Amino acid sequence: MKAQRISKIERATPVTIIVNGQEIQAHAGESIAAALLAAGQRQISQNNKSSAARGYFCGMGMCFECVATVDGIPNVRTCITEVAPGCIVDTSS
Amino acid sequence: MPQKPDTTEIAIVGAGPAGVAAAVTAARAGASVTVLDEYARPGGQYYKQPAHADGGPTYPNSLASNIEQGRELLEGLSHPGIDLQCNTLVWNISADELVLDLCGPAGARALQAQCIILCAGATERVMPFPGWTLPGVIMAGASQLMLKAHGILPGKRFLLAGTGPLLQITAIQLLEAGAQIAALVELRSRTEFLRSAASLWRYRDKLGQGFANLQKLLQARVPIKFGHTIARALGENEVSGAVIMRVDGDGRPIPGSETTLKVDTICLNYGFAPATELPRIAGCEQYFDQDYATYATSTNDNLETSITGILAAGETRGMGGAEVAVIEGQLAGSVAAQQLGFSPPIDQNELFDKRLQARAVAATLGKMFQLKPGLCALVTDDVPVCRCEEVSAGEVRTAIRNGVVQLNQLKPWTRAGMGSCQGRICGDILRQIVASETGLPLQDIQPFTARAPVKPVPLEVVGGPVADTGTLTWEDHVGGYGVART
Repeated sequence: MKAQRISKIERATPVTIIVNGQEIQAHAGESIAAALLAAGQRQISQNNKSSAARGYFCGMGMCFECVATVDGIPNVRTCITEVAPGCIVDTSS
Repeated sequence: MPQKPDTTEIAIVGAGPAGVAAAVTAARAGASVTVLDEYARPGGQYYKQPAHADGGPTYPNSLASNIEQGRELLEGLSHPGIDLQCNTLVWNISADELVLDLCGPAGARALQAQCIILCAGATERVMPFPGWTLPGVIMAGASQLMLKAHGILPGKRFLLAGTGPLLQITAIQLLEAGAQIAALVELRSRTEFLRSAASLWRYRDKLGQGFANLQKLLQARVPIKFGHTIARALGENEVSGAVIMRVDGDGRPIPGSETTLKVDTICLNYGFAPATELPRIAGCEQYFDQDYATYATSTNDNLETSITGILAAGETRGMGGAEVAVIEGQLAGSVAAQQLGFSPPIDQNELFDKRLQARAVAATLGKMFQLKPGLCALVTDDVPVCRCEEVSAGEVRTAIRNGVVQLNQLKPWTRAGMGSCQGRICGDILRQIVASETGLPLQDIQPFTARAPVKPVPLEVVGGPVADTGTLTWEDHVGGYGVART
């Protein structure tokens, strides 16, 4: 499922981020989670115990379900962390 | 950690409607105010502003007016007496010295204030069901945030499920953004819904808004299923469908009433619960809010908590909504400024009256849309209740059968509430399950003990050993020590 950027809304400067080695287009000010959803990636983390797929859930940084490794920093909440040009996101662990 | 904390006159935790109103009021009275907020931009969730648009036009109607209202309130933050510090988590509070421990752009710091106003807001409530951890099952507020902050529609075909007015508002916003809505599933039966609408008759503007929302949805031919619940989310690695069921008066699903819907996104909301971790760590007295069946922070009429020097405003003192939050923010800001010897140019008596009226509406709404105990039947033994530690409802029930009656006792038994979210999602759910298994009133089941750090922070921040920092640098945009990008 690919989330849709609503077409009528003006976007800020395009930004490229790297997710699991692939380039993804985002816009300045977007959260990493927003960029992932718009790129069609819904699974953002996996549960430590069961490895079950987890994704964007509370949207406000309280559930820790959308955490990923960003620029080498583990457990970053992608829903409240904005994209930075060239930032490296790893959702595999 | 620094030896000597920074200082300020008034520290305000949270830059949502209450915190911003408090800051602006206190600063206009002449006080120096520091506002601390965990997020990148002020506004809280309700007044979340678009991340990219300077005067961005073209937002769908109902979102545009919400964003505009927020913008007007937030303009007040440009007052020279206000120091707004975003991306800053307040992870601990010490009541004796009125010191806050912070983790933010400058790393670990402490801030000492003469007065602290806690405006920590609220969190959404949900009830679990099989499949509720699948990607594509999100909170209704989370779908609003995607729309508001990013102009992104988080799915194509939606199911909204739960109880209360937020579902209808969210459905309208999603529709305006181009979504298809397979159904809106409301726990209340049509009769209950109309009967409770009658209890709002004294607040005609609220009632009018409610009916206008319903009418919009009916005109758009959104199927509204009263007296129903979501029973299951379908899909392998993400949502591909949902099963809904009719419920009886207690909220218990009626066997044989299953209907399957093809949807890709499920938005849940069962109301909200106040965020009370910081006031509880500070030792502020709590009370049980009967209308919302949640614990909240006690204050007197001046919004002073039981701890001298600490005030609370907005949802932290009981669910009330954004209107209540703004009024209480103004009141708290004015009281705090007065305590420091300033004369706020504001009529406190008028605020007292407005507050009482707005709180009365909120109390009526709370009573209308409480959770129903029969919903616990959906939380079958195989369903993970604590999402972080994957503790199943079966494990929780076994612990209860062995004598557990309080949430804190569940921790050593099951690890429920011991993951990254620290019980913020499961705490309320576990209280429902304990109540339903033991027959104890919700009031007798205490929330998990709140402990610092309020949210996970890097070990270095709490004074732990700093790992080999040779290659690590503090990364503002991520809020942690990481490897510098090249």
